[in-house]
This record gives sequence, structure tokens and C-alpha cells, in this order.
Amino acid sequence: MKIVVLVKQVPDSGEERTLRADDKTVDRDAATKRMNELDEHAIEEALKLAEANGGEVTLLTMGPGDATDTIRKALSMGPDKAVHVSDDALHGSCAIATSKVLAAALGKLEWDLVLCGAESTDGGVQALPHMLAERLGVGAVTGARKVTVEGATVTVERQTDEGYEVLQTEGPAIVSVWDTINEPRYPSFKLIMAAKKKPVESFALADLGVSADEVGLANATSQVLEFAPKPPRQAGVKITDEGEGGAKLVEYLASEKFV
Amino acid sequence: MIEWSDTEIMIRDAVREFVDNEIRPHVDELEHGGLPPYDIIRKFFSSFGVDAMNRENFKRRIEKVKAREAGADSGQADAGGGISGQEAMALLAVTEICKVSMGITAAMGVSVGMAANTIMARGTVAQQERWALDLLTFDKVGAWAITEPDAGSDAFGGMHTTVKPDGDGYVLNGQKTFITNGPYADTVVVYAKLRDPADGSDVDLRRQPVLTFVLDSGMDGFAQGKPFRKMGIHSSPTGELFFDDVHLEPDRMLAGPAAAKGSEAAAGRGSAEGAGSDAGRESARANFVAERVGVAAMALGVIEECLRLCLEYAKNRKLWGQPIADFQLIQLKLAKMEVARVNVQNMVFRTVEMARAGKTPTLAEASAMKLYSSEAATEVAMDAVQLFGGNGYMAEYRVEQLARDAKSLMIYAGSNEVQVTHIAKGLLNGG
Ligand SMILES: Cc1cc2nc3c(=O)[nH]c(=O)nc-3n(C[C@H](O)[C@H](O)[C@H](O)COP(=O)(O)OP(=O)(O)OC[C@H]3O[C@@H](n4cnc5c(N)ncnc54)[C@H](O)[C@@H]3O)c2cc1C
Repeated sequence: MKIVVLVKQVPDSGEERTLRADDKTVDRDAATKRMNELDEHAIEEALKLAEANGGEVTLLTMGPGDATDTIRKALSMGPDKAVHVSDDALHGSCAIATSKVLAAALGKLEWDLVLCGAESTDGGVQALPHMLAERLGVGAVTGARKVTVEGATVTVERQTDEGYEVLQTEGPAIVSVWDTINEPRYPSFKLIMAAKKKPVESFALADLGVSADEVGLANATSQVLEFAPKPPRQAGVKITDEGEGGAKLVEYLASEKFV
Repeated sequence: MIEWSDTEIMIRDAVREFVDNEIRPHVDELEHGGLPPYDIIRKFFSSFGVDAMNRENFKRRIEKVKAREAGADSGQADAGGGISGQEAMALLAVTEICKVSMGITAAMGVSVGMAANTIMARGTVAQQERWALDLLTFDKVGAWAITEPDAGSDAFGGMHTTVKPDGDGYVLNGQKTFITNGPYADTVVVYAKLRDPADGSDVDLRRQPVLTFVLDSGMDGFAQGKPFRKMGIHSSPTGELFFDDVHLEPDRMLAGPAAAKGSEAAAGRGSAEGAGSDAGRESARANFVAERVGVAAMALGVIEECLRLCLEYAKNRKLWGQPIADFQLIQLKLAKMEVARVNVQNMVFRTVEMARAGKTPTLAEASAMKLYSSEAATEVAMDAVQLFGGNGYMAEYRVEQLARDAKSLMIYAGSNEVQVTHIAKGLLNGG
């Protein structure tokens, strides 16, 4: 089985993040860069599937030159190789343009399954798997907390607020995963040392047959007009119990729609 | 080498992540709840493939020895106990773990670095297969026992634990103390004086040969004491061992009748290098070098962590309307910490660089590193407590633990006074 995992380098969600003042795109230098947390789970799942069924795991990332740090970290978990799509013209691309580029790159690769995180912690759009599926004419089963592959049939338990739904599609397919699906492994020392030697293929836009006027900030389908730092945290509500504290608590919880 | 390479930084970051996820949340239990460190160490071994790597290396090494014995290979077997490329990587891991729980590295280091390496260096292939492999993979916990209530720095001269020949084996009697992993060890390397009744009662025990044995927990007459309460490195259980007529089959002895004369041993615990044939001597020397260089890596962890915590605290703690970092006496503390960090890091770098060149520091040089780095770490950590003021004395701010942990570095692996004697010996006798 050939699996491609989509990996994105993002600003660490544990740190203060912001947008750039000049073009209102994500300020990638403001916080430490790291691999999108959910992508680690996608890699783990791909490795497990490849270990169980035999196969090969390839990483695909679109991002600036320094995304090689994330690629190497991701490779150290165990995938066989990586593809890095990088081009100055891609800066500020919207989700639709990103899906165009990734679909073009996937068109150059052989795969039975594409795995990715359910969302990226910087964009949080959650639409990419569906956009890719549409462009590639394959099924997308998203938000998985469990994936099983039997022959060409891909079954997932899709996590919902209430529980889960079972979805099934015939491969090739695109599957996105939440962090409930597994516990990502630590990279072994041996694989860390080998990560530098694994092949990383680079593609520019021209290699993919995508033209610069289909991507980038100037051609984005959405535009950030304005942004502001999130407001400081409000002081909490204090309820003094003078005999009817319980009722007041319930009132508050109901007003906040907790109950 | 002037800085860690990209690959080493990846290793460091991976270990950091492990420390944050798997050790930090358990620090209270490790420090005050008596949680033994072994499950965490095993998880470390399996997470990073250290167990598999050690198993592979072990197999390769045994095959090499067997091939050589069969005359098929004239190549040399690897010297046991020294610092190889992989151990350089281990130094990095040790530094990271010591930032949060030094005892874990002590427990791990004694089991693998001391117990397993001694068996690898001085045992037969059969003994290595019987005991060392399980220690190298951390399937079993090892201890390494020389120190006795009346014999620490004077370990070999003052040793009272004895073995008496009995049939074709021996009978062991005596007691050991301050033994890392002693309370939980499955496999224990024990040093004991040979006391042959044929020698008569006037024999000078100080001058008797020292033999090395491997014991398994649960043997008749062998008892393992409970962990001592101690000042620091709480995550490393330390205890006593008692031997009451423990019968030892001959195949429990390492490297034949290894003789160490009391006169050689008088200079301190490092004189274990006298306990054996020349090969044993060499390997024990390499053990001490590795242990002392390891102390530099441990010290570096304490220093880096203290510096990080102090910088953060000095910038945020405000007095008289300004951060205490503005005060020159605080800056002096920070500057001295930075000096210590640079020096100790350079020592670790030098060790790594030497290992890459296939060289090992001399015993005197390793002793110098141990002496300096353990003092530097202790001083830095005590200064950190001072910089934090009252908060520094409170467990919540973590520097008090680092100070207690650091102090241990001045005592074990040969007390610092003994390091002085080894440095002086190197300087004065050129060896
Ligand atoms: C946490 C911990 C873990 C340990 N783990 C182990 C272990 O796993 N296995 C093991 O065998 N041992 C272990 N030890 C024992 C350790 O190696 C000894 O404590 C150490 O060698 C010192 O011996 P001692 O305690 O008997 O002190 P002593 O030898 O009694 O020393 C008392 C003082 O005299 C000084 N002194 C000694 N000789 C000289 C000299 N020639 N000149 C000047 N001053 C001198 C010493 O430096 C010290 O300050 C451990 C100790 C500790 C604290």
C-alpha cells in the first residue's frame, strides 16, 4: 500500500501567534515553527498501516524553504521519503489555491491513500481534504478517530460531538484524522540519524504545471481586511452563596449554554 | 566542534519532548512518592529504540568474538565501557534528563554503564549472554557494588566483604552500602576480598586480591535493603546489600581470579582498575572515565536549567519597580552561571570530539572534568536558589531540587577529594 501524508509547518499553537502587519498573512517568524500537531497523528497512522499491510509512506508538504526542518522531523518518525513543494509565488495562497497545488503534486505521485490532519492549527479551515477529493475525483472520509483498510475498502470512525459515525469508501481515498486516533511515536535515535539521508524531492510551481497567477496572496479567494489581538481574558463571575447559590449556579451555567 | 549538529539538536528536542511528556508530570511522585524510575527508563529505551540498538550491537559484538575465537577474524573486539559515537549521543540525553530528574540518569547509568559494561568488559561470552544483554536492553535492572560502610574512597583497601573458596565455588559474606538500584536490582556486580583459610589468620586483608562476581536477586543468603531517604536524586533508589553465606558457583566470577593488591588500592575507589588482569584493568579504567565524563553531562543539565529558570525569573520578578535583572549583583550571578555553562559545555564537546577521533580522555583528565563540573553545577544551583529568594527555597520553583541533586555529583563516581588525588597523580607521575 502506498500512502502519502500531508504535512504542514505551522507556528507553535502553544505560543502567542499573530498576523503580519504588512500583508495580513500568518506571521511565520513570530512563533517557533513546528509540524502541525495533528499531522503527527496522520504520520503515525500511515506508519501503522504500512507496517501492518506492507507499503511505503511519502510525505508531501507545501511551504517555504525552511519547512525542511519539519520535513526532517517528520521523516525521523519513519516515512520513506518526502516531496517539498516550494515557490515564492505561493506566499499567501488561500485554501483553494493550496488544494490546486497539492492536487497537482499528488497527481505526480503514486498512492492508494492520502492521510492528513483534520485541520491545521494556523488555518483551521478543515476543508482541504474535500477540495482535494473533488479535484482528484476520489472519496474523502474525514475527522477519523479510527481507520481500517481491507483490500480497497477504507472504513473510518468519524468523530462527532455526540460520538462517532462509520463511513466507508473505496480507495484510493483521502482520510483526515483527529488526535484521538493514536499516540504518535517518538522518533528513534537511529531514525533521527537516518533522516538526513532520506530522499526529499523538490517541486516548484512550474514542475506541477500550475501557473503563478492561480496562486498566492493576489489571487486568493478570501482576503483578510482587518485583524486585532484577542481581547484580554474577562474576570470570572463570582457567585456568593446566601442560601440560593445552587440556583444561581444553574442559572449561570444555563445562560452560558453549558447545561 | 562548537555546537551541536542539526541531527544532535533533533535528538535533543526529541528527548526534551519525552522529558516534558513522560517525566515532568511524575516529578512529585519521583521526588516524594517513592516512585521507582524503572518504568520511565524502560519507556525511554523503547521509545527511542535504545533497547533494539543495544541488542543489535551486542549481537554484532558477540558474533565478532566468536568468529575471532574460531580463527575467522583477526579484528579486535571493541573495548568495553569506553565512549563510542552512540555514547556521545547518550551524553546529550543525560543532560536533558538531568534538567528535570537527575536520579533517572543515575539509575540508568549505573545499570547500563557500570553493571552491564563491567560484565561486557570482564565476563566470558556465556556470562555476557546470561546477564549483560538484559541489562543493556533494560529488561533487567543492574547494580554495581563496591562501597561498604567502612570502605568508600578506600574501597579496595578497606573492603571487608569476603569470599571463601568452597568446593569449586565460593561463599560470600559481608555488606555493601550506598548502592544505586540496590533495592530493586535483578543483577548485581559485587566486588569481594579473597579470604583463603589456607592463608592462616594473620593474613593482611588489605593486601588480599579482589574478585568480581555477578549475583541474581533472590539467591539464598542475599538480601536487598529498602531505599535510603536521602538529600537529593530521589528518583534513584539507593540502598544496602547483605550477604550471608551466599553460595557462588564458579561461573558467577568475572575474568578469573582478578588480583588487586591492597597497596595499589589505597589511592581511592578508582583503584578498581587494579582489580584484574591487564584487560580488566583497562576496561575498569575506561568505566571510570565514562562515569566521570558522564558527570560533566549531568552537571551541564543542572547548569543549563538553572540558567534558563534564573533568566526568566530575573526578568519577571519586580522589586522597587524594576526587574531584579537590573541589579548588578543579580547580573553577576547570571554571568557566573554563563561562565560555568560555557566551560562545562566545552568539556562535553571535547569528549564528543575525542570520541569521534577514536580517543578517550585520560583518567586524570576525566577526573578534572568531574571535579570542575560537579563543583560548578553545585555552585550554580545554590546561586539559583539565592536568586529566587524565598521562592528558591520552595519546592514549587524547582531550583532547590536542582541544588540537592547537584550536590550528589561531588560525592559519587569518586568523591571530589579523590578526583584531586587522581589529577595530581596524572600531573606528577604523567599517568
Ligand atoms: C547517591 C549515591 C549513590 C552511590 N552509588 C554507589 C554505587 O552504585 N555503587 C557503589 O559502590 N558506591 C556508590 N556510592 C558510594 C560512593 O562511591 C561513596 O560514597 C564515595 O566513594 C565516598 O565514599 P564514602 O562515602 O565512604 O566517604 P569516605 O571515603 O568515608 O570519605 C569521607 C571524606 O573523606 C574524603 N577523603 C577520602 N579520601 C581522601 C583522601 N585521600 N584525601 C583527602 N580526603 C579524602 C572524602 O572525599 C570525603 O570527603 C554512592 C554514593 C552516593 C551518595
